[in-house]
Amino acid sequence: MILLDIFTFLGRLHPLIIHLPIGFLLLAIIFDGISYHKKYGYLIRAVPFTLLIGFASAAAACVLGFMLSFTGDYDDQILNNHKFSGISLTLTAGILYVMTTTAFRKIISMPRALFSGLSIATLFLLGYTGHQGASLTHGNNYISLETLMRQERAKPTQVEEAMIFEDVVHPVLEQRCAQCHQAGKKKGRLSMESMATMLKGGKHGPAVVPGNLTESELFQRIALDPSHEDFMPADGKTPLTKTETELIRWWIEKAMAVEGKKISELKDYQAIRLLAASSLGLGGKPHAALGSLTGQKINENIPDTLEMTLVENLRKKGLVVRLMSQKPAMLDVTLPPGSGKTMDDIVNELKPVSRNIIWLNLSGNGFTENDLGILKLMSNMEKLRLEKNPISDGISNHLVGLNYLEAVNLNETKITTACVSRLRQNPAIKRIYTWKSRVDNLNNLLD
Amino acid sequence: MSHHHDPEFRLNRPEFNELHKKLDRRNFLLKSTLGLGALATGSLLFGKSFSGNKGVSLAQTSSQAEQDILRALPHFAPKAKRIVYLFMSGGPSQFETFDYKPELLRLAGQNLPDSVRKGQRLTGMSASQSILPMAPSIYKFNQCGKSQTWVSELLPHTAKVVDDLCIIKSLYTEAINHDPAITFFQTGNQLPGRPSIGSWISYGLGSDNVNLPTFIVLVSKNAPRDQPLYARLWGNGFLPSKHQGVQFRSGKDPVLFLNNPEGYDGANRKEMLEYLTKLNQLQNDTYNDPEIESRIAQYEMAYRMQTSVPGVVDVSDEPDEVFDLYGPGSRDAGTYAANCILARRLLEKDVKFVQLYHQGWDQHGGLPKGIARQCQDTDQATAALITDLKRRGLLEDTLVVWGGEFGRTVYSQGKLTADDYGRDHHPRCFTMWIAGAGIKSGFSFGETDDFSYNIAKDPVHVHDFQATLLHLMGVDHEQLVYKFQGRRFRLTDVLGKVVNEILV
Repeated sequence: MILLDIFTFLGRLHPLIIHLPIGFLLLAIIFDGISYHKKYGYLIRAVPFTLLIGFASAAAACVLGFMLSFTGDYDDQILNNHKFSGISLTLTAGILYVMTTTAFRKIISMPRALFSGLSIATLFLLGYTGHQGASLTHGNNYISLETLMRQERAKPTQVEEAMIFEDVVHPVLEQRCAQCHQAGKKKGRLSMESMATMLKGGKHGPAVVPGNLTESELFQRIALDPSHEDFMPADGKTPLTKTETELIRWWIEKAMAVEGKKISELKDYQAIRLLAASSLGLGGKPHAALGSLTGQKINENIPDTLEMTLVENLRKKGLVVRLMSQKPAMLDVTLPPGSGKTMDDIVNELKPVSRNIIWLNLSGNGFTENDLGILKLMSNMEKLRLEKNPISDGISNHLVGLNYLEAVNLNETKITTACVSRLRQNPAIKRIYTWKSRVDNLNNLLD
Repeated sequence: MSHHHDPEFRLNRPEFNELHKKLDRRNFLLKSTLGLGALATGSLLFGKSFSGNKGVSLAQTSSQAEQDILRALPHFAPKAKRIVYLFMSGGPSQFETFDYKPELLRLAGQNLPDSVRKGQRLTGMSASQSILPMAPSIYKFNQCGKSQTWVSELLPHTAKVVDDLCIIKSLYTEAINHDPAITFFQTGNQLPGRPSIGSWISYGLGSDNVNLPTFIVLVSKNAPRDQPLYARLWGNGFLPSKHQGVQFRSGKDPVLFLNNPEGYDGANRKEMLEYLTKLNQLQNDTYNDPEIESRIAQYEMAYRMQTSVPGVVDVSDEPDEVFDLYGPGSRDAGTYAANCILARRLLEKDVKFVQLYHQGWDQHGGLPKGIARQCQDTDQATAALITDLKRRGLLEDTLVVWGGEFGRTVYSQGKLTADDYGRDHHPRCFTMWIAGAGIKSGFSFGETDDFSYNIAKDPVHVHDFQATLLHLMGVDHEQLVYKFQGRRFRLTDVLGKVVNEILV
């Protein structure tokens, strides 16, 4: 429906255009008032014109506002108040203008003070109309005594002390959803004002069903693909972050959408602790927190960032460097087999990134364990390939202290069973490859 | 040869000037509309007059967007850095391989109940049959490995490595005929024209070995050519053409048109290519067409491959023990077994995506004999590939995928006799397996009903499978997009969910 789209488009201009009549009418009233002062007496002559354009822009804003009133699910009461006060204001502005014309003055002569009094009365009408409009757009309590008097909930300093709904979930909903879903503007007849209104839900049923994600319209909508028609927040408003979505998921599914409970009172709250902490700004890296929830373990010791020049330096030396993850900065480094490089050639480039190296492949480069002391520094390394190097049992000294090392490839080296037993003292190591080495059995997969 | 190229270019010659001035219809429209728009925006933003200020051309802005997409990769830490995809073309029957249905023995010969078929449209090949007699597998199944997984007696070698596999019994697809189904599997769309999985991976993750293509394809020569394969299955679609799969063949010319022509010693090849690159660069400066960059890259790649390919395809340095492991046929270049060895060699060189195709799994009739032959040709080498990769430690970061484009029907196409039957195409459920990096091993996922006709538990759509594959490589399938014809395309179109349950 093209016509409807134009209506929507023009309607949305209302909140923009509306500021013109506010400005013009205010200016006319100021001109009128200040012209009592001798110095600015000449401004009285500007009043009629200012009123005229004030009237014209108010009329335009009325028309646009009328179009806008079709598109949103606004509170009827406030909408009607706003509509009638807006129209009255426009008419008043028109009448005031007519009063300033010479034709009118010829018929009725009016004391100047009366005109000014009427102007000031108009000011109140303007204020009232504006307030109603703001309530429609931003919510009933947007500008109210209540807001002024309201006590902010004290920000929790401990994750355990934070209330799951009041401190963690509800602020997210208020920030992301309440612009359209609140008492003053219940789009889809849904308000996120309180737990009760969410359980009641909107025109598609309850927003939240404790323990049931598929029935919880709220979660279903935010979890959709952002391009989906039903995705929320709609109209290209900022979607919830992954952390926020996961928090809500956990709250509905695992915490049965409780309110008034501290996080530490919940069952299995450890699963959500990191995520809540990062959302409350109480430390914890968001990606590590997300990982803890989705079962991906992310090692927090890996530095978050890395100078790209360091990577370039490695590449200049002929190493193949793959970025495994941006944040934390994880590297997969390979020295191509038969590169002809000695450790002295590359050790200075490897050192600065040693804590970022997660996978390392030095196979087939003629290294002995004496060349490889640098491995000790690679404290976050998970997979190490050293096959086809003349390495002996001493290599185990470099590797027993690596707490994240999961797999070591020592195929076609000179290591013996002694090396394997030594490596087994490192509980992190799950798989040791010893094919074609001097170890008796074919391989030592510990799994 | 004389260095007649000096001085390098005489740029003021009329031909070059013509080239620089040339403005075809498409470029004219582009520059006069979008270009002006960009100019206008530019002058708005920077308050400069647009005289003398060159506007941002569309090519630049779109390549900027592309750069942003690529720079975000990987989206998370990958588990795998290479994939070998053993594509069993034709649609291997799940009944004679991995999906054990003992209940069918009792129901043999009975008509397929309507309650199971639920009015599904059959292919024209079996729709006119008066009866759809249910056919149990004539091959026996055994419980194998620590995981006690049921595997058909046709796959004795695969049975030995079953504890390394993750068998998914609940794949389903949308296409019911070969070409659309293979195209769907490889490109995410039933109609030709989209990039293949390997091309997407090459585009997204680039190369780990500059001397070899990122995406290499090997087609078995010892398979019945019952259904054709087309090069577009490993095509780059709308991605830059340097991402297309390169087919390696057996014989004198492993890669077509790579060898120097007879009688040419190749001594000045490098000089010739450098000159050609400069010429192409000149053209590129004018048009900024990504295909020119691709062409430059391909010439350079081909030059490097002239050295690297003979080394990698020459298997004479493999010990006998390796050929014995991969079984008969492995010494005969171009067979499935030989291709498995070659695949392992390519993976060792960090080639990112190796795809094998083995045709001949389309048994509409004479299935017992046909599938026995297919299994015999592939079983040992497939299992050997797993064993070989595992002992070399390569299964740590390599994914092995085995599967076809769809499954086969529970009922016999044609007459069901005591020792013969056929099976028609069946998209609603079929079996694949994945093994290696980041995948649960000795694990089965998904279940079908007693007829292996419908999925009973945990369905996995082709797009889910593709999303999972990309996930393991560190790619979020929703983020790897390419803008073409005004919209952004993904391998998984607008669908696909990562199957987290099979991930470690």
